[in-house]
Amino acid sequence: MLETYRGTYFHPRTQFITIDTSGNVLESDNVLFALKKGDDISSVSGFFEGLASYFDANEDNDIKFTCIHLENKEQREYTCDIEFKTFANDQPALVIIHDFSDHYKYYQEVAQSRNESVINSQILELKNKYLKEKEDFKNTFIANFSHELRNPLTGVTAFCSVLQKTDMTLEQQDYVEVIKSSADHLKNMIGDILEVSKIEVGKLSLNEELFDFHELIEMLEFTYSVKAKQKNIEFEIEFDEKIPRYIESDKTRIKQVLENLIENALKFTLSGKITVSIKQNQRRARKVNLNISVQDTGIGIPEEKLEVIFNSFTQLNNAQKFIGTGLGLSIVKGLVELLEGKITVESKVKAGSTFKININLKYPINQESTSLERKSDIERKNYLSKEKYNILLAEDSELAQMAVLKILAQEGNFFLDIITNGEDVIESVIHNEYDLILMDIRMPGTHGDELTKMIRSLPVQNCKTIPILALTANLYDTDKKRYKKMGMTDIIEKPFDESTLLKKIYKYLK
Amino acid sequence: MKKASKKIILLGHFGVGKSSLIRQFVENTFTSDYKVTIGVHILKKEVEISPDETISLIIWDLEGYDDIKKTRASYLLGTHGFIYVFDVTRPATFENLENDIAYLTDQYANTPLKVVGNKADLVTKTYLKENKDMFGVAPDFFTSAKTGDKVDDMFTALAKELVK
Repeated sequence: MLETYRGTYFHPRTQFITIDTSGNVLESDNVLFALKKGDDISSVSGFFEGLASYFDANEDNDIKFTCIHLENKEQREYTCDIEFKTFANDQPALVIIHDFSDHYKYYQEVAQSRNESVINSQILELKNKYLKEKEDFKNTFIANFSHELRNPLTGVTAFCSVLQKTDMTLEQQDYVEVIKSSADHLKNMIGDILEVSKIEVGKLSLNEELFDFHELIEMLEFTYSVKAKQKNIEFEIEFDEKIPRYIESDKTRIKQVLENLIENALKFTLSGKITVSIKQNQRRARKVNLNISVQDTGIGIPEEKLEVIFNSFTQLNNAQKFIGTGLGLSIVKGLVELLEGKITVESKVKAGSTFKININLKYPINQESTSLERKSDIERKNYLSKEKYNILLAEDSELAQMAVLKILAQEGNFFLDIITNGEDVIESVIHNEYDLILMDIRMPGTHGDELTKMIRSLPVQNCKTIPILALTANLYDTDKKRYKKMGMTDIIEKPFDESTLLKKIYKYLK
Repeated sequence: MKKASKKIILLGHFGVGKSSLIRQFVENTFTSDYKVTIGVHILKKEVEISPDETISLIIWDLEGYDDIKKTRASYLLGTHGFIYVFDVTRPATFENLENDIAYLTDQYANTPLKVVGNKADLVTKTYLKENKDMFGVAPDFFTSAKTGDKVDDMFTALAKELVK
């Protein structure tokens, strides 16, 4: 029976060929390739031409080749393993061709799918890398450019404050108010662009502090009730009193998120009501989970646009009455994610929108024994111990020098020395006893942060403790860390106005 | 007229266009459909290297490997020349170029070798000029199997070296 089966199912797939020393066929069983005596073996395939130098090897040798593609005269393709044997004692060389086409066909399919998948993933990786590089370049460019715009704005905003305190006609006062409000608007827009580009390149980090959350909400309620009233819109905050009073998080960023959402609601609501709801969801392991929502009865967002509203520079309504950079919601989303929260939006056209945030905030367990320094920085001036303070201003920009001089002169509490060159700063610090130093960073000669490091190492009495405040628009985290490392006490961000400058100065004077 | 047969081998990662270069050179055709080569395909083409000398190139199109040392030793027997092909758009295919070329020149010191950056039609000439250091070894040719650019030049240059 076995023989019957073999006769039915066994098809020999191996060809034996003997050749002479010139590669001519002596014998062949022609199982795969039709060859007659005297044919050149190379007529089967160029493969055998590569072996020509071994045809006359009069020695025992066995060379094996796997997965060789050969074609017969009818152009049928075989994928074969080939053995080439030579022998000592003048025996003719033997070529054995094994047809493994079926096996290799399967292998081909596996290799095809594997290689395609590897190549596609490499291409995808490259595309992602390219897109990321492009995005990073754009964001860094925007960040640098916005930063450069902030410097000249310092002059505009600071001098507006100074100018407002001079004798002016009512008409002139109106003009200054317009300049100031335009400069503030420009400053906010540049700030937004800078913020969004920082978020997108991951250069924004949180600055956690302990703060009074209830007080923050009360302040927002007060501010926005007034603003809403001016627009004849109702404004209400539903606040859950169970929420811990003291929270440990980035107050500035939380405030910014809430302000941006409320401002957004105010902007797009022409009548009706804005309701802010802040509810405690649960408390667990020193963390309180909050559900925050800002609901308006504004113009609403079409369903198909809901996905893009958090993208940068997305202004759905291009009508003139809704001005802005279109960055507010993009910043909100970036900040909420930085705070490890989640933001969603529901909206109906002409009915209004609801922005919902779910967020975890840390809080100190013992709320009763927590207290905050409540004295504002500007109030400190009433508690100062000296009549006059010596302040050194190291700044090369004449505009900034004049701004600081004018602001401090109005206060009447200060003697101001101005130095425009990095090298002269050290000399002046050695020979004068200053109470505070205002230090520009990009000074000609030696930079302000380097000068600070040098001052801190001077063997002069108060050099280790004297407050040194940086005046700068370079505010990346890496910059801030460097200023701190160099010994700077705090930073005054450019562009600054009168109140910012004075608050910081009074904060550090004794 | 003199006529010699020379075996040359194309090496390099999978998907760099070795088979396409050969098809362009031998048949003047190109397809963008990728078909993996397993084992080895052997094609022949006669190349005129001077008015009175023609050479028969036996071109071995090898399966691509990410490590040149994995190439089956029997394939390399009796090789007269190498063409190492990489894809200028895929760093994975040239990040080991320097080592691979060092290995070949060490193991086959007297065998002519051409280093070829293929798929040059997908990038600009300026890109290739500005980034030539990125490949680790200066390529002898930037080719495009798709447009045929520099393909004949590359095979002919190698053929000429084989009969020196």
